[in-house]
Amino acid sequence: MLMSLEVMLNAAGLAFVAAGGRWAQADGQVMFLFVLSVAAAEVAVGLALVLRLYKRTLSLDADAASRLRG
Amino acid sequence: MNAEALRALLPLLVLAATPLAVMMGIAVRRHHGTAMALSALGQAAALAATWSGPETASGAGGALLIADAFSHYYWSLLLAASLAVTLLGYGFWRTSEERAEEFYLLVPVATLGSAVLVASTHLATLFLGLEILSVSLFGLVAYERGRAASLEAGLKYLVLSSAASAFLLFGMALVYAETGALEFRHIASAAGRPILLIAGAALMVAGLGFKLSLVPFHLWTPDVYQGAPAPASAFIATVSKGGVLGLLVRFFAQGGAGDLPGALALVSVIALASMWVGNLLALLQSNLKRLLAYSSIAHLGYMLVALVVGGPAGAEAATFYLTAYVATIVAAFAVVTLLSTAPREAEWVEDYRGLFWRRPPVGAALSAALLSLAGIPLTAGFLGKLLVIAAGVSALLWTLVLSVAVTSTIGLYYYLRVIVAIYSPASADEAPRLAAAPLAAAALAAAVAAIVWLGIYPAAVLDAIREASASLARLSS
Amino acid sequence: MYDLLWLVPALPALGFVLLALAGPRLPRAAAAVVGVGSVGASAAVTLGLAAIFLASPPPDHAFTQRLWTWMAAGNFQADFALRLDPLSLLMLVVITFVGFLIHLYSVEFMRDDDGFARFFAYMNLFVASMATLVLGANLLLLYLGWEGVGLCSYLLIGFWYKDPANGRAGRKAFVVTRVGDTAMAIGLLLLVRELGTLDIAELLRRAAATWEPGSTMAVAAAALLLGGALGKSAQLPLQVWLPDAMAGPTPTSALIHAATMVTAGVYLIARTHVLFELAPAVQLSVAFIGVATLLLAGCSALVQRDIKRVLAYSTISQIGYMFLALGVGAWTAAMFHFMTHAFFKALLFLAAGIVIEALHHEHDIFRMGGLRQRLPIAFWAFAAGGAALAGLPLVTSGFYSKDAIVWAAYAGPLGNGAFWALAALGVLVTSLYTFRLIFLVFFGEPRGEIGHRPGWAMSVPVIILAVLSVVAGFVSVPQTLGGFHPLDDFLAPVLPATGHHERGGFTEAASQVLTALAFGTGLVAAWMLFLRRRDVAARIAASPLGQAVGRLWREGWGFDWLYERVLVRPIVALASAGRGDLVDLPFEAAGRAAFALHVAASATQTGRLRWYAAGLAGGSLAAVAIALFL
Repeated sequence: MLMSLEVMLNAAGLAFVAAGGRWAQADGQVMFLFVLSVAAAEVAVGLALVLRLYKRTLSLDADAASRLRG
Repeated sequence: MNAEALRALLPLLVLAATPLAVMMGIAVRRHHGTAMALSALGQAAALAATWSGPETASGAGGALLIADAFSHYYWSLLLAASLAVTLLGYGFWRTSEERAEEFYLLVPVATLGSAVLVASTHLATLFLGLEILSVSLFGLVAYERGRAASLEAGLKYLVLSSAASAFLLFGMALVYAETGALEFRHIASAAGRPILLIAGAALMVAGLGFKLSLVPFHLWTPDVYQGAPAPASAFIATVSKGGVLGLLVRFFAQGGAGDLPGALALVSVIALASMWVGNLLALLQSNLKRLLAYSSIAHLGYMLVALVVGGPAGAEAATFYLTAYVATIVAAFAVVTLLSTAPREAEWVEDYRGLFWRRPPVGAALSAALLSLAGIPLTAGFLGKLLVIAAGVSALLWTLVLSVAVTSTIGLYYYLRVIVAIYSPASADEAPRLAAAPLAAAALAAAVAAIVWLGIYPAAVLDAIREASASLARLSS
Repeated sequence: MYDLLWLVPALPALGFVLLALAGPRLPRAAAAVVGVGSVGASAAVTLGLAAIFLASPPPDHAFTQRLWTWMAAGNFQADFALRLDPLSLLMLVVITFVGFLIHLYSVEFMRDDDGFARFFAYMNLFVASMATLVLGANLLLLYLGWEGVGLCSYLLIGFWYKDPANGRAGRKAFVVTRVGDTAMAIGLLLLVRELGTLDIAELLRRAAATWEPGSTMAVAAAALLLGGALGKSAQLPLQVWLPDAMAGPTPTSALIHAATMVTAGVYLIARTHVLFELAPAVQLSVAFIGVATLLLAGCSALVQRDIKRVLAYSTISQIGYMFLALGVGAWTAAMFHFMTHAFFKALLFLAAGIVIEALHHEHDIFRMGGLRQRLPIAFWAFAAGGAALAGLPLVTSGFYSKDAIVWAAYAGPLGNGAFWALAALGVLVTSLYTFRLIFLVFFGEPRGEIGHRPGWAMSVPVIILAVLSVVAGFVSVPQTLGGFHPLDDFLAPVLPATGHHERGGFTEAASQVLTALAFGTGLVAAWMLFLRRRDVAARIAASPLGQAVGRLWREGWGFDWLYERVLVRPIVALASAGRGDLVDLPFEAAGRAAFALHVAASATQTGRLRWYAAGLAGGSLAAVAIALFL
């Protein structure tokens, strides 16, 4: 799950770099740096939460936590 | 950067310094009250700076940020809301085993993100503001480590929010690829309306729509509202949504999205769907926090109607509606907080049965909030709806206006259901004695006063909003 | 100084907020200070304003204070604006001043009640609403005040809510007046739609400019407003709620159900008199309703046993006089009678409260007697108030105000001989029931023992009102007795003077002599029947005819009975038969559809993260599709 998130964010980053290439600007690469750092922050928090979930349910299944519904 | 620009951005600087101060405070001495006081003081100082600061139309933040009347208005609104949430937090955590100091760290950080968001004029600041807000929200939502529901809500919010951010980013990348510009006004002036630009704008709306919990990106809302601690839910509903809405208003006015026919059609469809689905979902809900979540979907739908109208009138209606909504939601969650203790929240409608007879002021306050949500005259919510409907009528958006009217009637049903519960005779057995929470009570009193004040004497606030909307138009022209 | 006008409604409103929020925790003394003080301050401001108004009236004799814009959308704009002119000033003086006296009286009257603070909260809210009603410069504020006083009336009638009968009386008052209010709301909407403004002064100007006399619109608007006035002022056929409203505490009856709220209908008609002049047919029906009400209610008052119900019917009857005056076009006379009536009827209710308290909550006048020596203050109050009510010639205020109406019933623009005769007959009936009450309660052999004797808080208001009941009449003395009329001059900028047309032979002096004779006849008859020869009265009552008539009158001419049969039961039956009726089907279906949709929509909230993420992705795709193809 966290890997997929990483992939999605990086895809967007790649699109930025490509677009920057098209206009021959550095802006695209700057945005990519932003994306990288933010993705790192998100994943850090995400890992912490997943760890706690694992402790509680002994599972890494994404649907293990689905008590809130309706 | 001269002194004047510095003063214009002072609220943001103060707000950014606040978490540092709180962190230092915690490092020196871990104490609940101290952390709260530091955080609240910092936010109050930022609020004061907003009021006293000069208004510079340009230049203060370079290409990235702007401190105009619009930003100032939203900053004060967001800061007032976050201050209220901080006070609520103190009431909420007072009985908890949990270490709550970091809560007061995360609130100003998230508010900072939101404040950056409404002032941003550049896609980079938009993204950064949004992520500062989101990442701190993950922490806020999952703050109650001891409760499975809180953890689950945090995880869900994290995964979905990151996915939405990815969509938003991709949309931004498409827009950039097409226009070669990241600044709003350059995007707006880009020639042509090619496919990539429209698709990019649509993806951006989707990403932002997630934060505003608009249909069809709303699925996370009830779970997160229910799972998160009550003050955190209040924060999502007010500061987070307020920031994103402010950004959308600015983006539509200055980023040229308002001129894209496809984007307007998309927003209209989303608004329609949100009104209907939100109100229908809330209809038989027996959990007050979920009910407020569903109703927030509907209310954001109403605000989008104003966005579709566009122009100063639309911006004005959306902003006033948001102001009214923020005051109302703070009041509602303040009541939830007042009746909750950290491990056991008063979230079921059943918990409110006979509330008026047990605690008359609290019951009356919750009724006032619900009446305002339902849009009964003499409350803030009524005037908000009136402005939205008037704006819609003037723009001849009959489908949307009719939907607002019809779905508001549906909404009346579930708000009144809760009010009936509040006034029905109390069950004799349960009357839990709760520790007093004077600060949360003060926040509640202020919010109720704001509801009534906006409902009877809106002129002062409307003037400020009018000025803010005008500043928006000035720059885009 | 005029800028202080907003304080008049704001002070009692503040008192209400304080009492409502902190009421139960306040000590009684503090609650009393807040409750009485707020109204007292309001009255002081009003009197100050009145003094200035008399000394140097504002331009055009009207002062409008625009506080702020409440809402504005397109052409439609509603302000919070107050308008002070002679008419609203007169109403305001009576409301706040009499209101203050009654608040003061209540401090002692309600001293042992558990709901002490709650009572004052409601009373303060009432004064604030009534002031808003009178001062409102636009229809919206007027309607706000109109509903506000209705709410307070409901709350105060059912004040002792532990007795279900009181709750029923409150509900009855609410429902019956609601019938009128609905008519009035429709009328107001009609006016706004047709004339395009909410501002009352502007509205009347436009109405006079655009509508022909007797045009359909003018008639419809006037008739609908009349409906509202009938409900609030308890006139035929909506009079049934007022006698039951006596279930509330006595000060409430004095303030709301005698002096002020029930005269809101009179105020409404006087305020919008331009409309009624444009609709002569409706105006004439006001006179018919007034004359019928004053006689029917007077007869009912004649046979009641409950002291407060006698006064209630008498109130209905006296408001009938005011309606008669409005109907024949004697606007000033109606307001004059409103003022004197507020003084003497409040006085009578307060004195009745003293009697009731002294006799341990005894309401039946046949179980009272001989209180003249034992409760002198109540007796003298009753003597002054009763004399004014019955119209003791030359010395009491009631004589002057009623005489003006009786004469206008003949000589007013729409007056005629029949109206005069019936109005004069009304004087006889009034005199008869008034002195019946006085003789039964204060003369004869003493019965019952005296409990509580009034202290200063109850005595002072009674004394002041007694003095006013006597002297207030001298502000408008008819031509035949000297011709001194500052009140008419004062009201002239708002209400046109009554154009009397002389019809040969019958003169004002003759009318006055005959009215005085009617008063004397009533007095003597009451003395004969209820003091000297009670056996005669008993014999009349016991005869078959007497019994039947007595019963009919006692039951208020059977209106309750009729409404129960003709309206309440069929509606209840219809409602219960109507369940599952065709009419309901669409609503039911809409409700069911909403519930079904709710279930369907709830099914999407599975709580599963994967499903949510799929929703997000699908939604984004749909968003792109919509944006591209719409």
